[in-house]
Amino acid sequence: MARAKDQKDRRPNGPAIDPTEFLEQLKEGHQVLQWEPLPPPPPNRTIGVEQDRNRASLEYLHHHWQLPHTYAPEDTGGGAKGKAVGLFGRLTFRVLGRYLREERDLLSHMVQVNEALERRCDQLTLLIQQLHTEVLNRQVAEARNQAVLAVWLHSRLPADAAGAPGTTSTPDGPADGAVSPGDAARTR
Amino acid sequence: MSPDRPATGRAEPAARRDRRTGGGDHPWRSTRLWPDGRGLPTVALLAPTWGPASEEGWMTRQVAGALATVADVHVVTPQGLGADDRIDSVFAVHELGTPLTRTAELRRDLLIEAVTASGATGGGRVPAAVGPLLDRGVVDPWAGASDVLDRLRPDLVVVAGHQHVGAIDAVDRADPDVPVALLALGTDLDSLDFPHFDRVFDRAGSVLAVTETERSAVAAAHPRPERAHRIGAPMAANDSALSEPNPWVGSTDYAIILTDAHSEAEEEVVELARLIRLSFPEQPIGISYRDVFVVWHEGRWSAGWPVERSSDLGRLMAWSRMTVDLRPGPLFARRCVDSLLFGTPIIVPAGSRAQEHAQRGRGGLWYSSPGELMWCIEALFDPDTRGALGKQGRAYAEEEYGSTDRFIERVVGAVGLAGAPAGDRAAG
Repeated sequence: MARAKDQKDRRPNGPAIDPTEFLEQLKEGHQVLQWEPLPPPPPNRTIGVEQDRNRASLEYLHHHWQLPHTYAPEDTGGGAKGKAVGLFGRLTFRVLGRYLREERDLLSHMVQVNEALERRCDQLTLLIQQLHTEVLNRQVAEARNQAVLAVWLHSRLPADAAGAPGTTSTPDGPADGAVSPGDAARTR
Repeated sequence: MSPDRPATGRAEPAARRDRRTGGGDHPWRSTRLWPDGRGLPTVALLAPTWGPASEEGWMTRQVAGALATVADVHVVTPQGLGADDRIDSVFAVHELGTPLTRTAELRRDLLIEAVTASGATGGGRVPAAVGPLLDRGVVDPWAGASDVLDRLRPDLVVVAGHQHVGAIDAVDRADPDVPVALLALGTDLDSLDFPHFDRVFDRAGSVLAVTETERSAVAAAHPRPERAHRIGAPMAANDSALSEPNPWVGSTDYAIILTDAHSEAEEEVVELARLIRLSFPEQPIGISYRDVFVVWHEGRWSAGWPVERSSDLGRLMAWSRMTVDLRPGPLFARRCVDSLLFGTPIIVPAGSRAQEHAQRGRGGLWYSSPGELMWCIEALFDPDTRGALGKQGRAYAEEEYGSTDRFIERVVGAVGLAGAPAGDRAAG
């Protein structure tokens, strides 16, 4: 594999490059700052509307979960037909009463479970909103930090970039790129 | 050289003798002769330290090696635990045992920075109160060099480092007439024209600079600009690096970032490396820290052993699309020259010593801000752009740094030893 690198890089002889002119062209091409940090997205409020709709349904359940569990003789009216209906009603409720009470208890528990779920959903919704806010705040901070970096990149002095051995301080702030709040404010 | 050299100290009378007369009274002198039968010249190299740990140390050794081809080279250095003479390759090393402390050098450098920033050197003079402070702890360690020079009676003295006023004082105490050459080692351009060091430059008959930037600074700041010579450095691309890629990264096209910092350090270069990684998430990027080498590829962050051997670094640079050296060497950015020798273009900080390689050598780009750094990297991801710059850079590096023979010629010619018989010793 002798001179393998030479073979890999072998290209037709191109024009000579003057680094000084090349750098000037490079800088001219980058004179216009075409970059800026992305603004954070507007907060999404549709979660609140969904919450109101679910609350109305739950209120309906609270008001309608109690089914009739006893026979009311006054509902049958008078006469032979009333007596027959009353007899049938008493028999029916006597036979099905246990099942109807259990079904009522079942509905009661289901409503309670729904109530608990609704509360848990509310808690999770609040957590999501809180997290969303934190993410937004982080995005804002990141965008601000990016803006500071952009300023740092464009304003760094040549002598500092040359990096004298042991030199860590800079005229504008610490060498690690951390920027004081004042610097951050100037970028906005 | 014979190992039974006299110990360091004033063992011989300080009588002067004619230069280049053979030196038969020194048992450790070389038996090589000039064409007319004279003995080889003796060169004393005064260096604050002797070792290749830094670019300055490596460069000092290369210059000593170049001089060793035509002269007997004695290195006199304040370093060491005690006065001692030893042999290191082709060099005789005379340690004084009075090392310069890092604290004293740091204080001197800080004072230079402060005085320069305050503009107090406007009249070409340093405030009187500052002079003693500049010399504190960096002049006295050279005191013992006079005795060694008395004993060596060199034909030429080379001082490594333009800040070493104490070395010049020691030379003048031993022999005020001996020719002096200065290896400037001007890592800091402010220091090169600092008035306190004028007498070092005034005393030097020739000044050796590694890069054109350094040579120009010396020529502009001091009289007789023709004394300043650019010598470059002896370097060569390791061909084996081009035959096989680094197994950790493979042959995947990647960019290599050199930070010269710890990965957890709160330093700007670490932040820049992170910024590069985040700015080009779809590009394979290797980042070399002092404590770890990491590869960023397809969203994965893989850490491995740090790159410690120069051969490993060379292999990484040889197969890379570009070398981004965020903290190049202060003297001549050796890593960048290495990268160019492999045909890999470089991106370096503006104002660093490596900018010369990118600009004059047309081997890369340089940046003044993090924004420009990103644009430069983006530009070099274009294969045509990096291909052209890499080709130009390789031609420059091979011409300026790629020949040991040319380096020796430049060094020997600059110090006035051209014409001496070339030895058969490899210096190093």
